[in-house]
Amino acid sequence: MTTTTQTLTTSTNRRRFAREMSAGWFAFFMNVPTLLFLGLVLAWPVLYAGYLSVHRVGLAQLRRGEFPFNGWENYGRVLEDPLFWTALKNTGIFTAITVSSEVVLAVMIALLINQTSIWTSRFTRLLILLPYAIPPIANGLIWSFMYSFQFGFLNRILFTLGLISDPVNWAGNPDTALYAVTVPYVWRTLPFAIILVHAALQGIPRELYEQAAVDGAHAWRRFWHITLPLLRPVIAVILILRTAFAFAVFEEILAITQGGPGDATWVAAWYSYKITFSPPNNFGMGSASAFILALMIGVMALVYLRTIYRRVTL
Amino acid sequence: MFATSRTTRLLLHVANVTVIVFILLPLVAVFFGSIQSEKALQADTRRLMPLEVTADNFVVILTKGEQKGRIFDQVTYLPDNIKSFYAAFLNSAVVAISVTFLTLLFGSLSAYTIARLRFRWTVFLMQANVVARFVPVIVLMIPLYVVMRSLGQLNSLSGVIIAETGFLLPYAILILAPYFDSIPRELEEAARIDGCSRLRAFVSVVLPLSTPALAACGVIMFIISWHELLIPLILNARPDVMTLPVVIASLVGDVHVFFNLMMAICLLALAPTVILVALLQRYIVEGLAAGAVKG
Repeated sequence: MTTTTQTLTTSTNRRRFAREMSAGWFAFFMNVPTLLFLGLVLAWPVLYAGYLSVHRVGLAQLRRGEFPFNGWENYGRVLEDPLFWTALKNTGIFTAITVSSEVVLAVMIALLINQTSIWTSRFTRLLILLPYAIPPIANGLIWSFMYSFQFGFLNRILFTLGLISDPVNWAGNPDTALYAVTVPYVWRTLPFAIILVHAALQGIPRELYEQAAVDGAHAWRRFWHITLPLLRPVIAVILILRTAFAFAVFEEILAITQGGPGDATWVAAWYSYKITFSPPNNFGMGSASAFILALMIGVMALVYLRTIYRRVTL
Repeated sequence: MFATSRTTRLLLHVANVTVIVFILLPLVAVFFGSIQSEKALQADTRRLMPLEVTADNFVVILTKGEQKGRIFDQVTYLPDNIKSFYAAFLNSAVVAISVTFLTLLFGSLSAYTIARLRFRWTVFLMQANVVARFVPVIVLMIPLYVVMRSLGQLNSLSGVIIAETGFLLPYAILILAPYFDSIPRELEEAARIDGCSRLRAFVSVVLPLSTPALAACGVIMFIISWHELLIPLILNARPDVMTLPVVIASLVGDVHVFFNLMMAICLLALAPTVILVALLQRYIVEGLAAGAVKG
């Protein structure tokens, strides 16, 4: 702590600040509420989830308030459950599809709304944030209406355009259901990615493009050799953040397919939720499966912290 | 910059129209669904444009099922949760406003110390916040349920407010800290020389300069809290303490509720945040960018 303030405090205004608390205590008192909340709602529950995951916790145990220790049994049962592996596989496919399409679409659409000389681009720019305002669960219900086999809006559009002659069961067919639920998720979370890319585009100096234009570089070459390399940090941010969040997708699954048909759209978060909150309410196994999910996301968080947030001195 | 030739401009217009249609399509669907009766939706399942226009879906929700109107005339069953729309709307508002206020208050106190006083532990706190932002609710939900159950905070709005505030504080700090960091120190130093305490310098010099960041953070906190489903879904089972997303989720799998009613309640639930986004778009864009990468 060698700021100007400190120097002033100790020299000229010593008497005036004599009874003021030190910077250390000040920082501590300012952070008391945050530390309490983080402790109660984040740190303690994460540790407690670890504790529950190695104990037998069902409704009977909850009522009695005694959780017998059962070692790695919960983890063993989760890892032996073929449904868990199906859920993990589905989560992987879901994440790969949503994140890759979001990165590509975000770059394309950010470049599109950056064309200020095109009047339709200015209009798109006004609308781009709209999906961010839609509650995820409402988004899920809206898309379950879009996808409905008999009454769905999507089939109505395709009938009207003459593209199909029989109704398509988008979310009810095990072969297409998992792909069907990626679209609403991408729709809702794309604005975030577009905004980050668009903000990064604003930071690219115009002179770079002007110079390239003088050198006779075409649009594609300019994109490939100037824009894309400069967008790489923000693309890394989107990749990691969106991967971590897509790993825990829940609302759209609940509203559109509830994991079905069969186990076609069981994802990791849905697995933990169902194991825990539907009979026979195995809280221990639920915690174990959630903890496995948390470990995978924790690795991504640390990678984010080390590679991207490292530059940040804050 | 790129667009010069006629064909390029035309292609860009086509691309824009495609994006606009993609954004608006689900919103057209929810609107068309909400202004028709069950009968009309079933009458011609290949028809795109609405067969009729009625406000009955909204009327039945907004009058707690008392005024059934023409299309619910012969309906004997209406889910209780539809009738508790007002209570849910109010609960959602109470939760979202409280969470916004608390995260702004505590978040700005923390963010200021992180931005200004670089102790080893405040740097660590910032890193902890970065990691905490990744924690999915699903991991916390089981221990939160057990903890809140033992604290007697199940089926209460305060339990939900506490949980959501703790869950969102790291994100609020990530949005606010870079902004506080960008405010010149000289301003506070001047105030300190005039005899302001540290807290006073923060409250009367830094905070007034930070209104854009506070607005950005506040509106983002309100939106996320308004949208939050899992925390209130796990903690609250009684109808009088449900929030809107929980009521909406309860309609999933209710065989007696048809799309018209679902779309109407979705439209009512998404309206407040759509209005916020329309009015405060600029702030939200800044906040989202600040919270993800330090500018």
